[in-house]
Amino acid sequence: MKLNLILFVVLIIFALTTVNFKHQTRSNYAELDEENKKTLDLKDQQTMLRIEESSESRIEKIEKTAKQKLNMQVPSKKEKRVIIR
Amino acid sequence: MIKIKSRKEYFELSRARRRTVLILLLGMFIILFAQTIKLAVFEKNKLQKESRQRQHRELDLYPYRGKILDRNGSLLAESTPIYSIIGDAAEINFKSKDLNVQAKLDSQKKQLTSLLRMRPTDLDKKLKNKKRRAVRLKKNISPDTKIKIMKLGIKGISANKIYKRFYPENGPVAHVVGFTGSDGNGQEGIERIMNKALAGEKGKKINLIARDKRVVGEFQAIKLPKDGEDIRLTIDLRLQNEAYNALQKTVEKHEAISGSAVLLDAKTGEILAMTNYPSFNPNGYNKVGKFIKNRAVTDVFEPGSTIKPISLAVALEKNIITKDSLIDTGNGKYKYEGKWIEDHKAYGEITVKDVIKVSSNIGSAKISQKISSINLATMLKKFGYGIKTGINFPGEVRGTLRNHTKWKKIDHSRASYGYGMSSTLIQTAQAYTVFANEGKLKPISLIKSNDLKISKRVLSPETSKAMLTILESVTDHDGTAPKAKVYGYRVAGKTGTTWKTDPVNGGYLRDKYMSSFVGLGPVTNPRFVMAVVIDEPLKKRGYSGGTLAGPVFSRVMAKAFEWYSLDADGLELEEMQNKKEVYADKRKL
Repeated sequence: MKLNLILFVVLIIFALTTVNFKHQTRSNYAELDEENKKTLDLKDQQTMLRIEESSESRIEKIEKTAKQKLNMQVPSKKEKRVIIR
Repeated sequence: MIKIKSRKEYFELSRARRRTVLILLLGMFIILFAQTIKLAVFEKNKLQKESRQRQHRELDLYPYRGKILDRNGSLLAESTPIYSIIGDAAEINFKSKDLNVQAKLDSQKKQLTSLLRMRPTDLDKKLKNKKRRAVRLKKNISPDTKIKIMKLGIKGISANKIYKRFYPENGPVAHVVGFTGSDGNGQEGIERIMNKALAGEKGKKINLIARDKRVVGEFQAIKLPKDGEDIRLTIDLRLQNEAYNALQKTVEKHEAISGSAVLLDAKTGEILAMTNYPSFNPNGYNKVGKFIKNRAVTDVFEPGSTIKPISLAVALEKNIITKDSLIDTGNGKYKYEGKWIEDHKAYGEITVKDVIKVSSNIGSAKISQKISSINLATMLKKFGYGIKTGINFPGEVRGTLRNHTKWKKIDHSRASYGYGMSSTLIQTAQAYTVFANEGKLKPISLIKSNDLKISKRVLSPETSKAMLTILESVTDHDGTAPKAKVYGYRVAGKTGTTWKTDPVNGGYLRDKYMSSFVGLGPVTNPRFVMAVVIDEPLKKRGYSGGTLAGPVFSRVMAKAFEWYSLDADGLELEEMQNKKEVYADKRKL
């Protein structure tokens, strides 16, 4: 009789634990799914930024900015000096 | 009613009933057992599949396709998210009896059509059939526009995300990078060669769904997708663009069909630039036409005079002549085996060095008569002619180099100045790495790697050095390519101007030319090798390799020397003494 009672209690404990673990698995999965979605969104953002960076760092654009905004110019042959090692 | 007279009689009757019941039970059991067998054995797979379909939803998780980058990390290809805007015709309603609501709906519709860049009447047409629950209103919508559309809050509007390959650099690198097809797999160029590595591996998740198809959220199994690898090329985008722009200028100025250029790092064999003009837009939809091919590796032409240094190198290597030996080129016309060999003008008796400097066909033919066919053919093979370069580029051809045993005397003679054989531009560029590497042929590569590359000895360092001096004379003011000179640097090279072959009738088209130049520099310590070819320039505007391809070489090489900070080796001593101060924004340090 005593043994039966103990087994019954153990059974109840296992049943509750199973339910609890299933619940935790579900919520963890939901979290994981959410994080995966965030990762994907961040990757998309990173892609867009990378493309923007690539477009902004084009040599033609840098040269245009250097010439027009910063008034820079390529030195002529006369202006160049050679370093002799 | 049956009347039972005795107990015995009662049991007799009972036995009959019992048998009947037993038989019935047995029959039922057999039926049940048979059904169980049928379900558990014969229909097991089908039922399990149905069960899974009812309870689970399998979703593919797509990996990010890897990026393609140049040697400095500049972006050449990337997968970007784009959206298709989907409308539920049954749910979308832009009409209301309430005037205030109607005003709001009108405003929403106006904004939506403006963002979708479509007429309101076209939108109405698409949503006319109210039974259609998923009408694609517009595809290729950018993420920014998608956000604006979703912010409108129109009921029944949703967005489907897909990934599209984007090539920010467009034409100049299009032939190298290639493009992907509608299925996302590489169709051309690096996209095709490296498709497996770029594609990655698909992942999978299995969701448990309710009867109403709602995802309950529990999962059965999950495999995360494995993103594709990034591929780093040996290409230097700056030099690639410079080469493309230089080609564009020349092709347009001389009304040529096309132009191609290949620039190699002579020390590593890496391809720093490989471009063709005209090119195509890899971001467009109609990627067809004759300019899709990477002509630097797929098209062959007769290399012409660019071969002369190789036949001369054979003679020098075998000690048959020296660089100061004299060759009599006569009056510019020489009959050999019944065929005329001609020079541009009569050069008379000239040195071996001058044979290359003025590009004398007669001189080359006479030198080749001193060497055997087997020696010439073997050397051409050692220089890489008639063999694929090993970069495994789609459509790469090996060119033609006929078996020397089938050469007639005139074939032998013509091979010495680059007729009767064909090669690609990349083969020509690779061949000249021999002169830049003290006689060793460099294996070339297009994808950055740390693999050990073993060069093959083709010439002795002495012959190679002698050849450099000879090739440098070509860019002298009285050589065939003074326009290939680079200010401040010593450069060497060889021009090639050949008739185009007639693909219909055979023979040559005597008014159509392939103008090429292949060179290297700085001569003191060669770092770069570059080959340029211009296809069919307008004859009246000049057609020689030195005039057309030489300036392209000069412009790109000048930038390469500057960007790779190479020491100037071509300034005269006096010039150097005048310029020995350090330059820093006009102020002396």
